[in-house]
Amino acid sequence: MQNIRGFIVCAAVAAAVCLAAAPAVAHHAFAAEFDADKPIKITGKVVEMRWSNPHAWIYLDVAAANGKTERWAFETGAANGLFRRGWRKEDLPAGTVLVIQGWQARNGSNTANAGSITFPDGRRLFAGSSNPNAEK
Amino acid sequence: MPDGKPDLSGFYESQGRGANYGLEEHAGATMLPPGQGIVVDPPDGKLPMQDWAREELKSRQTPARGYDDPTAHCVMAAGVPRGFYVPSPFFIMQTPTHLVVLFERMAWRQIPIDPKRRHLPDTVRLWQGDSIGRWEGDTLVVESRNFNGKPWLNEAGEITSHALTVVERFTPVNANTIIYRATLTDPLVYTRPFTVEVQFNRDEKGEMLEVACHEDNQDLQHMKDVKDAGIGLEKK
Repeated sequence: MQNIRGFIVCAAVAAAVCLAAAPAVAHHAFAAEFDADKPIKITGKVVEMRWSNPHAWIYLDVAAANGKTERWAFETGAANGLFRRGWRKEDLPAGTVLVIQGWQARNGSNTANAGSITFPDGRRLFAGSSNPNAEK
Repeated sequence: MPDGKPDLSGFYESQGRGANYGLEEHAGATMLPPGQGIVVDPPDGKLPMQDWAREELKSRQTPARGYDDPTAHCVMAAGVPRGFYVPSPFFIMQTPTHLVVLFERMAWRQIPIDPKRRHLPDTVRLWQGDSIGRWEGDTLVVESRNFNGKPWLNEAGEITSHALTVVERFTPVNANTIIYRATLTDPLVYTRPFTVEVQFNRDEKGEMLEVACHEDNQDLQHMKDVKDAGIGLEKK
């Protein structure tokens, strides 16, 4: 049922990015690493998107309730899979405000599997989550 | 091909039907991505696992064991047949004497097509096994053995041992479609052989991309942290 794991984003702006449906990719079991009972929704500024292996990661600085800034790390799909869906390095410059919904790591750290990403202009990107409850 | 056999060469993507997260039909409630199931024999679509194997499978899905999947460590020899349903494309190159499969994210396989060839000595054990191909009509039949028992069948942690033998059947049904069947026999893990089936779709415009799994690997430390936390929880 990998086709349902793809997601098509066609924003109603001239610079819209249309991402073709593609299977999610992962190297390890979601169940072992992330907790589907810990859904989170985080708003923050992009520090960096690492086109790393085996998965790409997005790092956000998030304003915490105590006034401090927390660094969060979000796992996305594999770089090749993101590339085939239309992602490019320049899509997420530092400072971009994002809202990311996902599932927190089982060790309780500021680490999560990204299920969906919302850009400031309303575009939404499917991040290639391993979680079956991720947006379709 | 000049020898009258079908030419399987080309860039393919497999309709893996979620098999990388479980060979049986499974719902999302398992927390692994849902899958339609690719087991076509037994007819009920269930893996005929021995009792110990079911317990081992449960163990592999805990935080303390997710780190153990060799592919998480960039061991790209995914075993047979995992490479054909990992959600990543592959390129088949065929000559009259060989079928070579270049998996984008997994290690390549070389399959001599020579029914007179003999398998390696039993003492030689390999991640991908030792494969020998032969033609049965328009179907390429590949028998593999000499496995080392280390690969996981998928991210769910489904199991094979060093006793595994696999018979794969590549049957082209039209110019751009191959039906792939693999029958796995492993008397140490399963009560009977079982067969999985997926479809390969050729994409003439498809292009292989570079994968450098070890470079800037961000996952492994995180998985180690989760594993350590998982072990800590077990001790409490």
